[in-house]
Amino acid sequence: MKLPRNTIVFGFGLAVALFAGWFVFPRLLYVQKHQPLDFLHKTHAEKSGIAECNECHTLRDDGTFAGIPPTEKCAGCHSERIGETPAEATLVNDYIKPGHETPWLVYSQQPKNVWFSHAIHVKRAGLACTECHLTYGESDQVRVSEVNRISGYSRDIWGHSISRLHRAPHDGMKMSDCEDCHQRHNIEVGCLGCHQ
Amino acid sequence: MKVTRRDLLVWSAGAAAGLLATPVPWKVLDDVSIWSQNWPWIPQASRGPVEVRQSFCTLCPNGCGLRVRMAAGWPVGVAGVNTNPISRGALCPLGFGAHQLNWHPQRLRTVRRLAGASSWNEAQAAFARARSEGPIVIIDGWPGRAASSVLESFAQKQGGSYRVAVGPEIRALSPYEAWSGVPATSLGYDLENAQTIVSFGAPLLDGWGTPGRFTRLWAERAAGMENPQLRLIHIEPSLSRTASRAWQWISVREGSESALAAGLAHVLIEQKLVPAHGPIPTVGLDEVAAQSGITADAIRELARTIAGHMPAVAISRDDDPAIAALNVVLGAVGARGGIVRRSKNAQTHISAETSIADARAVLIDASVPWNFVPQTGAEVFRFAAWDGGLNNSAWLLPAPGFLEDLTDVPSAPTSAVQTYAVAPALVKTTSDVRSAAQFLSALDPTLSSAETIIHARCSDLFRARAGRLCAQETMPVAQIASLQKLEEEIWKGAVWVGEPSEPGGLRCQLKEWPAGASSLPVQSWANAWTIPVLPPLASKVYIESNLREAPARRNA
Amino acid sequence: MSARYGMVIDLDRCTGCGSCMVACAAENNVPALPQASARTGLTPILVYRASNGMEGNARRETFIPIMCMHCEHETPCVKVCPQQAVEVDKATGIVMQMPQRCLGCRYCMTACPYHARYFNWWDPSWPAGMEKSLNPGVAVRMRGVVEKCNLCHSRLHAAQEKAAATGKREIDPADYLPACVEACPTGAIRFGNLADASDPVSQEARSPQAFRLLARIGTEPKVYYKSKEPWVKALAESNPARSSEVQHG
Repeated sequence: MKLPRNTIVFGFGLAVALFAGWFVFPRLLYVQKHQPLDFLHKTHAEKSGIAECNECHTLRDDGTFAGIPPTEKCAGCHSERIGETPAEATLVNDYIKPGHETPWLVYSQQPKNVWFSHAIHVKRAGLACTECHLTYGESDQVRVSEVNRISGYSRDIWGHSISRLHRAPHDGMKMSDCEDCHQRHNIEVGCLGCHQ
Repeated sequence: MKVTRRDLLVWSAGAAAGLLATPVPWKVLDDVSIWSQNWPWIPQASRGPVEVRQSFCTLCPNGCGLRVRMAAGWPVGVAGVNTNPISRGALCPLGFGAHQLNWHPQRLRTVRRLAGASSWNEAQAAFARARSEGPIVIIDGWPGRAASSVLESFAQKQGGSYRVAVGPEIRALSPYEAWSGVPATSLGYDLENAQTIVSFGAPLLDGWGTPGRFTRLWAERAAGMENPQLRLIHIEPSLSRTASRAWQWISVREGSESALAAGLAHVLIEQKLVPAHGPIPTVGLDEVAAQSGITADAIRELARTIAGHMPAVAISRDDDPAIAALNVVLGAVGARGGIVRRSKNAQTHISAETSIADARAVLIDASVPWNFVPQTGAEVFRFAAWDGGLNNSAWLLPAPGFLEDLTDVPSAPTSAVQTYAVAPALVKTTSDVRSAAQFLSALDPTLSSAETIIHARCSDLFRARAGRLCAQETMPVAQIASLQKLEEEIWKGAVWVGEPSEPGGLRCQLKEWPAGASSLPVQSWANAWTIPVLPPLASKVYIESNLREAPARRNA
Repeated sequence: MSARYGMVIDLDRCTGCGSCMVACAAENNVPALPQASARTGLTPILVYRASNGMEGNARRETFIPIMCMHCEHETPCVKVCPQQAVEVDKATGIVMQMPQRCLGCRYCMTACPYHARYFNWWDPSWPAGMEKSLNPGVAVRMRGVVEKCNLCHSRLHAAQEKAAATGKREIDPADYLPACVEACPTGAIRFGNLADASDPVSQEARSPQAFRLLARIGTEPKVYYKSKEPWVKALAESNPARSSEVQHG
């Protein structure tokens, strides 16, 4: 049976919309931003014997998390060039020598009204870094930072999957993701337990 | 096959239906809602580590201990320092908002003249010219600092004069200076050992002296108690904040405080309630009663009350000699619980009210209270960090703002013991500012800098081996191993405290009851606040509540 | 063990200086907006002035700091909020207001018997550069939402984080002091865990001199007051905004 013209045209519109919505839209929605230089975790883990995450990503004395270390930490080894890569040249010449902070892009930056305590999750709950940050600590590539053009937040917050279906474990750092884990472990926290 | 308009509509319908089955509308809605909650014009605080540094508040000569939280090099919050022996962890309401002052819209950032903006070079040239043409009068609002020493040296070398403009608490001590020869700047009140305090309008709980000192003392020994260890009797026509908290509030007619003091002295001597035999006031009790509006019996009762709980001391809001004479009668001068001499070596300062008419130019330090307007036709170079108008000045010169300049902190005006501390600069300057001391040092390189003098003073303290350092722990100076260690502690916020004064060090010669009244105008407390603006959050409190600023501390 | 944080405010000690109000505004990033008045201002803690109604020598005055009472029972604001933007924290007893969830209907402001809630009439703004002085521990709100005292929750966070970093489960009570408590020069405002019988503030709250405002309506506020003056105690049953003897604005 031959389909009526309207159905075909309708179906054509449907197909175009579905394709645009599922494949084109995610590309358009996010702007690709690159880190100021290619920092490879794997190189540092292998060559310099920095085996533990918290050797660079430390907890301060007052319990706050230092996050991405300040450039002076890198200067501990890289005050002069010790390798041959162009990335290291950028680090030493553009940031360490002039004394500027490297403008790293943070993939998991939460809104200002969110309070997430690494000390409580790592020390009290005993979560390993890899539970949330997966194997990024062993990567030999630098991930592009994808930032949502409308909301301004990293793609890592919503999660890579646009529909939020069929998500990889720990893909996404929205409030519902935090809530899911809390529910699984039966840890009740009030609103201001995570907000400020 | 022709594409018709109908095709377009059907195609669009399909696309619309399809779009609903894609993430597009839902994700865009979610993202737009987030976008609408993140307007770019609403600032957020910085991210990053918060460190705590210690310094001292420089908004008035009390120099309360400050604990400053810093983020990205800027102050984000202040609190008091509990180990500070004078301020005892308290700050005044203005101090709690002081960390925002450096960005006050009235912050002075360029040299200002009547004609408009100018430059440091021009100001320096004009001052150098003035200096070569005649005597310069330099006015200091916070004497005793290292910077004060620089100002005074310059004045001496140039053949000019150094004058001070001090607050009402120090001016209230001037009768004792006149009668004993001991400078008012080395006198203090031994409140910690007093049992009765008779305040003649002095706002003890409301802006007098170091904020924490009396409020903490009163809270520990009097607040809320039926029979307090420390009796606060407050004499004032209206119900001020101090009056409302006092153990007894005596309402007298405006201007009758001198008479009442005389009446009390009369009863104390006549009824042998005190060891002193004089000086006896000439005014009769009935006349005092008529003037003050309280009965003669009430005056007698009050005198008995005071004498019944000694030591007692009278504190005046101004330099009324009658109230000072009452202290002589009470035996409070040079006695425990009364007016004491806290240091042997302090110099007499001449008040800035003394004629400055002969000056070629006047230089006013940023520490001088804003309401001090020099009555002179001379060229006035005024240093200020906040712009309150030229105020009879030819030059308004941008001084360092809050915590932008290293300074030392001499003894607080009403303190019974000598103290010394150093307030490091915690905040970097963002405009070309200079203090008066720096300005003068640039003109005369032979002058020591304030920093050099501060180090010299620390060295003197170390060598004297006297007193103790108050920080988290108290360390006698004699037990500190090196000068470097002493300076390290002081730069971290430790306060040096001297030995308590010997009560006998002060003696007043007073043969007869003094005539005359206070020399200060009623609004004199308005002179105590240094700068022309309030911290924004303090202004907010006074607008959005019906609390009013400490009485008469500012006009309007 | 869950805590019940509360306060005891000694009205005989309050001198009406306003340090608590300034420290609170600084801690919570409340702007000093030039267009705000006594009616439209935002003051999570507000000190009222009250008198015994007499004039002349018989007049007596006192100062009453009022902030969110953190009502424990049938919390009025929680009951009326259509957004569930406020709830009573099970772990601490703090009535937690989430301005980011609020839609600005202001029903809670009507419901609050203590007039302790305030509306952001305007977007917050500061003079150029002053935003560098904002407290990083507290997010800045926007216009159109209600806010109130949260017992300086940012300081509780800091105490919790410090405890966790050193392996402890419970916070050190000395690490958690709301800004108003820290600022008060006479120690009139005292803070503690009312559920801990050994806490001196808890004991003070249970003493006969302590009373609560509008206790008869049964919201079980966790802010207690004390005074030895009978006329001050009598004010406890009056509505602060209605009583002719209490002045505000």
